[in-house]
Amino acid sequence: MGFQTDRVKFNVGGRVMETTATTLANAGRNSMFGAMFDDNWNLILSSNKEGERFLDRNPDCFGILLDLLRTGELHIPPNIPEKLLYREALYYGVLDHVRSAKWGPFDGNRLRLSQSLQGQAPGDGTAIRAGPDGGCCVAHGSMVHVYDWMLDEHPPLNLDYQRVNDVGWVDSDNVVIGVSERLGRGDGGMGLFSSHSGELRYKFQVCHENQVKSYTAGALSFSSDYKIFSSCKGRSNEYGVGVWDQVTGKQIDFFSEPLGWSLGDADKLQWLEGCNCLLVATMFPRKDNCYISLLDFREKKMVWCWSDVGAPFAVDEKRVRDAIAMEDNSSICVVNEFEDLGFMDLRSSAATGIRWSSRSRLMKGKMPEEPCYPKLALHGGQLFSSMNDCISVFCGPEWVLTSRLRRSYGGSICDFSIGGDRLFALHSEENVFDIWETPTPPII
Amino acid sequence: MQKKRAFQIEAFKHRVVVDPKYAEKTWKVLEHAIHEIYNHNASGLSFEELYRNAYNMVLHKFGEKLYTGLVMTMTTHLKEISQSIESAQGEIFLDELNRKWVDHNKALQMIRDILMYMDRTFIPSNHKTPVHELGLNLWRDVVIHSSKTQARLLDTLLELVLRERNGEVINRGLMRNIIKMLMDLGLPVYQHDFEKHFLDVSANFYCCESQKFIESCDCGDYLKKAERRLNEELERVSHYLDPRSEMKITNVVEKEMIESHMHTLVHMENSGLVSMLVDDKYEDLQRMYNLFRRVPAGLTIVKEVMTSFVRDTGKQLIMDPERLRDPVDFVQRLLDLKDKYDRIITMSFNNDKTFQNALNSSFEYFINLNARSPEFISLFVDDKLRRGLKGVGEEDVEVVLDKVMMLFRYLQEKDVFEKYYKQHLAKRLLSGKTVSDDAERSLIVKLKTECGYQFTSKLEGMFTDMKTSHDTMQGFYAGQGAELGDGPTLSVQVLTTGSWPTQPSPPCNLPTEILGVCDRFRTYYLGTHNGRRLSWQTNMGTADLKATFGKGQKHELNVSTYQMCVLMLFNNVERLTCKEIEQATAIPMSDLRRCLQSLACVKGKNVLRKEPMSKDIAEDDAFFFNDKFTSKFFKVKIGTVVAQRESEPENLETRQRVEEDRKPQIEAAIVRIMKSRRTLDHNNIVAEVTKQLQSRFLPNPVVIKKRIESLIEREFLERDKVDRKLYRYLA
Repeated sequence: MGFQTDRVKFNVGGRVMETTATTLANAGRNSMFGAMFDDNWNLILSSNKEGERFLDRNPDCFGILLDLLRTGELHIPPNIPEKLLYREALYYGVLDHVRSAKWGPFDGNRLRLSQSLQGQAPGDGTAIRAGPDGGCCVAHGSMVHVYDWMLDEHPPLNLDYQRVNDVGWVDSDNVVIGVSERLGRGDGGMGLFSSHSGELRYKFQVCHENQVKSYTAGALSFSSDYKIFSSCKGRSNEYGVGVWDQVTGKQIDFFSEPLGWSLGDADKLQWLEGCNCLLVATMFPRKDNCYISLLDFREKKMVWCWSDVGAPFAVDEKRVRDAIAMEDNSSICVVNEFEDLGFMDLRSSAATGIRWSSRSRLMKGKMPEEPCYPKLALHGGQLFSSMNDCISVFCGPEWVLTSRLRRSYGGSICDFSIGGDRLFALHSEENVFDIWETPTPPII
Repeated sequence: MQKKRAFQIEAFKHRVVVDPKYAEKTWKVLEHAIHEIYNHNASGLSFEELYRNAYNMVLHKFGEKLYTGLVMTMTTHLKEISQSIESAQGEIFLDELNRKWVDHNKALQMIRDILMYMDRTFIPSNHKTPVHELGLNLWRDVVIHSSKTQARLLDTLLELVLRERNGEVINRGLMRNIIKMLMDLGLPVYQHDFEKHFLDVSANFYCCESQKFIESCDCGDYLKKAERRLNEELERVSHYLDPRSEMKITNVVEKEMIESHMHTLVHMENSGLVSMLVDDKYEDLQRMYNLFRRVPAGLTIVKEVMTSFVRDTGKQLIMDPERLRDPVDFVQRLLDLKDKYDRIITMSFNNDKTFQNALNSSFEYFINLNARSPEFISLFVDDKLRRGLKGVGEEDVEVVLDKVMMLFRYLQEKDVFEKYYKQHLAKRLLSGKTVSDDAERSLIVKLKTECGYQFTSKLEGMFTDMKTSHDTMQGFYAGQGAELGDGPTLSVQVLTTGSWPTQPSPPCNLPTEILGVCDRFRTYYLGTHNGRRLSWQTNMGTADLKATFGKGQKHELNVSTYQMCVLMLFNNVERLTCKEIEQATAIPMSDLRRCLQSLACVKGKNVLRKEPMSKDIAEDDAFFFNDKFTSKFFKVKIGTVVAQRESEPENLETRQRVEEDRKPQIEAAIVRIMKSRRTLDHNNIVAEVTKQLQSRFLPNPVVIKKRIESLIEREFLERDKVDRKLYRYLA
């Protein structure tokens, strides 16, 4: 961009403001300012006699956005509705700037509760999933409610109004939901939706011996090379983990459940980029036993597996309720219903046992009336686990408890998710979900 | 009951559009702007106003109208552009296309700037094509795929390529821009509208050209031309094609110019691979390697032809009876052959491992065709270590020895080599002929690293013997030197039995002058070493004699022990017959004949005179002391007439000894294997024994079978009672 003069005068909705082209250049070529100052548009000629450029927009918002371009920081006075500001930012094409200035980079130990949102769905929530750009979606029964990062709600999603088992963001524009089948109707399965319009783009099929079968899609996971994984449960031989291509919508692979193991019922799938494997975990309430395995699809091999079949439970009731693979530590972290963390080594091909950490809080006898099973999440080397109405943060090589996020309202946390530098926690009562953010860095 | 009055609820008017023609008007403004942009008249436009107008249209739900309007307006303009391009005549067609393309891109950018808000909000949520992509798609459909332009563009591009191939200079910049345009329109456009045809035409072109070349050029020239074409295509890709085409077009050239003619090229009379190899045409060979490497099975052909040629050459060399007469020359020729091909592989074949392996296997093949190769190689070493290495630097010695080791590696019968090497080494050591102790030891070390400790232990024993003998002699003279006075000086080498390849031979009668000192030494030695036995190997010694001839001429004669015994007889008598000499000295007749021959029949060294003056020695021939002997040297070395190479019976004997030596080795290997395996079937034993012993020799399966039978007889093994093919180890 070649600028004839660095000073620029704007008349915005009657208020004259002056800034420099350098400041405006911070908005990038892909904004109104970027286009305006491109050589194609003759800057001098289109300004009036006073050298002002008239914009028929809100001057207060323009001022705020100008400050954003000047300092990189966003300060919204209380008298300006956020939504108005967002609309103005969209006009100028600097909405992304606003979003990235709104909250700071994620740090589990500096989280502040930013907002709580009340959903209108009846009944308990199933899952909440954070989107890559700070939006989220919440699954309730057979519906999925989608919110963008401004927490505006978009049209809800459903797949044949069947019970949603899992939901996930493929990218900021696309959401996949996996639902139960309706017997004999060919309904259910898995669908890819536009997060903006809620429209169904693909419905993913399972083929068995060249015949399309209906199935129940369980847990979901995605890989960076556009593959979608889902645990599948059909009526005959369709038990296992299916793989679909997100671009073509076609099924590309299927890992059938071996005898005496569980894949099709899995509660959790996690694609491990580093070792090119999929973690598949089936936990206690769904099955009588817990099965955790790593699948290598290229060789169709289970490269690592662990199960508590035959383990003595009468002694201390340590049943695994959630599992997460930590590639950096080559281990799998599991949690039981008392929020004890346990660790298993991934490097030995068959796990020998769980090394439970000794921080048992011995909750026996004082469980809340409607318990929620603990969940785990890993983000930026920090481990998160939810239990009842709070989320604990663990750090360091020994996973020391460093922070605890708690809100009294809404009951137990049934699910939480981290993404887009935000943490979303869904409470099982009242359909409330909390948004936790890291504040922007201090000025000095 | 009173009837309830029906309420009429009016629809809530959430927005009042002031002017019903608002949308139409706004669109007109934008449409006008788009016209102005295409007409290069944008300077009068206000960006803010247009941006706001587009925004308002989207905001007031006229996004669809805006979008369809855009598509129509742009299409109209592109149709005009298309016509103007179509009407461009001849050469300027591409120029015009390029110019319009640049214009269109600029206009598209400006249109997108105005419609940025629509691009950001309306388009994603309504699944429309973004403005920039839309502009490219319309350009593709309206301009490039217009019936007149599409074929013309392709023809023009292909013709330009053809002209460039024929040596004309074309406008590469323009070409690059046009190709870039096709790529900007998406990879499929580039591939379908250009690349596919380009490859077809190229294949045709190179098919014809290669046919022409193959008929008119020799192999070297052809390869040069092919290489140049390949480089031209690479250059073309780098100048104005998509980098992804590189593989495809080089494949075409490779296929048409190399793959379809490679057999013809390799076998081309007078210029093919064989003659390149013969004439050491490194550059041509390198070119062939680099080009053939690009096509599947190309190098295999080169390798096969080279291998069979090397085998033939080697076989000729090995089988040539002329060559077999001079072992040193024979081995030198082998080394030269190896050097030649090593150089070719290094300089032309990129040190390719597979070629090295092929060369090695060829050498292994033909060297072992001749059963005498081990002997000859040992003779070559012998020659080098006797005199060949005189005045040669230490590093050069290493080079020669390394080369010999390389030949040695090809030998299958390494134990035969060992046998000969031992004999030759013994001769060298005893006669003190070895040039360099370092070189000898260096070779032993090399053999040791190649074949292990046991291979060289006896050879090393020989060196130890030489050293101890030296010390013993010093001790002997230090203790007894005074008593000996000025009698003859004795130098004894005490050889350990077993380490040396000695054939037992009856001792001859030593002259009395020597006997005294010999007996003294015997007493001395046995006195210092308990429980040992000494026996004289008179067939292996040497002596220096001082002799005075007729005119008082004094000479020092360097002779063998046998010769000394003979000459000493003439101190007392003038004339002796062969028979008498044999009786007096007790030298075996065959040795005596040779010995007399060398004393009487060699010109310039004939210290004895013979009657009659024939070459052959008969029992009754008479010998005289040759009074008239003259020589310009003070020291006269009288060699023994020895067959340097083994005679036929000796050769057979050596082979027999080798076979005998192999038996215990094979047996040891069988026992070792069976001890660890306990039971094994016949074929596996043979395989394992062969594997274990192949570093020394290639055992014959028949021999192995005999050894197994012998071991069964001696109850080391037994046959399985059920399966007769299975053997069991008996602990």
